[in-house]
Amino acid sequence: MGGELRYQVGQNAYIKLVLHALKHKTSAVNGVLLGRLSGGDTNPVVEITDSVPLFHSQIGLLPPLEIALIQIEDYYGAQGLNIVGYYHANERFDDFELGNVAKNVGDHIHRYFPQSAVLLLDNKKLAALPKGKDGSPVMQLYTREVSRTWKLVESDGSSQLISKDWLNPELFK
Amino acid sequence: MVTKTEEAQVNRLENQVDNGGGGDWEYLCLVRKLKLRRSDKVLKHGLSILNEPKKRSSLGPDEWTLYEQVAVAAMDCQCLDVAKDCIKILQKKFPESKRVGRLEAMLLEAKGSWAEAEKAYTSLLEDNPFDQVIHKRRAAMAKAQGNISGAIEWLNKYLEIFMADNDAWRELAEIYVSLQMFKQAAFCYEELILSQPMTPLYHLAYADVLYTLGGLENLQTAKKYFASTIDLTGGKNTRALLGICLCTFAIGQLTKGRNKEDKENSDLQSLVATALEKDYKQRAPTKLSLLSSTLKSLKLSS
Repeated sequence: MGGELRYQVGQNAYIKLVLHALKHKTSAVNGVLLGRLSGGDTNPVVEITDSVPLFHSQIGLLPPLEIALIQIEDYYGAQGLNIVGYYHANERFDDFELGNVAKNVGDHIHRYFPQSAVLLLDNKKLAALPKGKDGSPVMQLYTREVSRTWKLVESDGSSQLISKDWLNPELFK
Repeated sequence: MVTKTEEAQVNRLENQVDNGGGGDWEYLCLVRKLKLRRSDKVLKHGLSILNEPKKRSSLGPDEWTLYEQVAVAAMDCQCLDVAKDCIKILQKKFPESKRVGRLEAMLLEAKGSWAEAEKAYTSLLEDNPFDQVIHKRRAAMAKAQGNISGAIEWLNKYLEIFMADNDAWRELAEIYVSLQMFKQAAFCYEELILSQPMTPLYHLAYADVLYTLGGLENLQTAKKYFASTIDLTGGKNTRALLGICLCTFAIGQLTKGRNKEDKENSDLQSLVATALEKDYKQRAPTKLSLLSSTLKSLKLSS
């Protein structure tokens, strides 16, 4: 592999997952990230172009997760997109740890897409969003190491993220 | 726990109130009765009644109940000044009241002063050892501080005394699921099914947990509980129908070569598939092709 693998989060994907988290403030939420790997060997980029919210309760249970994944793969596969990752927001305000459930789902997705990413949302930054002051991304990115652990990736700010423009204060009244 | 009709009623009222169509008091009463957690709406609409002297006096003695409801909602939304004001007013009206004392302790909890809140709750419990709300606040505090095992301990102690509290069993089950302790979660759902056998939600959750646990016996039991959910809901529960498909597929994977139950299985499968197709045609016709391919991938290899 020539260049280092980069991750790009598209606007639609980002907006959907933030709105999902904000809609269910009192519970954990999760969903999948869809996109594709592009750029070839010299400049590999995982483009996360869309996201699909999954659950906001009983997150650890298999049956709903399996059905959802089958249907999502089917639908988006027809559009040429793969499941490239998973996002998760914890129930508690100050819980910023990647829990076991998130790791397990991440592992499962990793089996089908080795460059998969896990996004863990920062609840404190999410709460500060309606005030519109902080334009930095509300999450941390984890990728899977060879040692089978999920490692935090430093954001170098060059990801294609949103500026403050789309923050519509009426949306978050 | 709410039924679908109750939820629809609340949502309709909420919409009405949000758009200025009146009915705020009715909405607040319903939320209080059903013990729903809609703190931002309760805060907004409750305050609008309390801040208008005419509306407030027309409530009569219910005014104090509203102050209590708004105080709790304010604490949930972290508007601690509003909560403090409400509690002060209640203190003036009912000095020495244990119920107000409980609110004061909750305010300490909302502020994050865990040790002081713990002290307050303990002293309140000395006078009234059977106050269920306070017992549960202790479990809530442990959970809020991230001490999940402490929360489990408190909840278990609570349930030894108050074993008929279904909400507590549900909370405990959900905590176990989040920690992937599925056997213990299954136990909680078993208690719930024993106490309320006609509630489909518990059958469905139990089946979900059993499926997640895995293993042939659990899968077969899960299938039975998905089926009982379908029975109790008159066939309207899509999750249960899909659950049966998943179970049949998984059982088939585990028992390859043994065709004892094949005929029964394929009958059940086609029934379920027909029911699902009918359901989707009615409610989500655009997703019908998606459903068909899902069913295909679950049927093909069984």
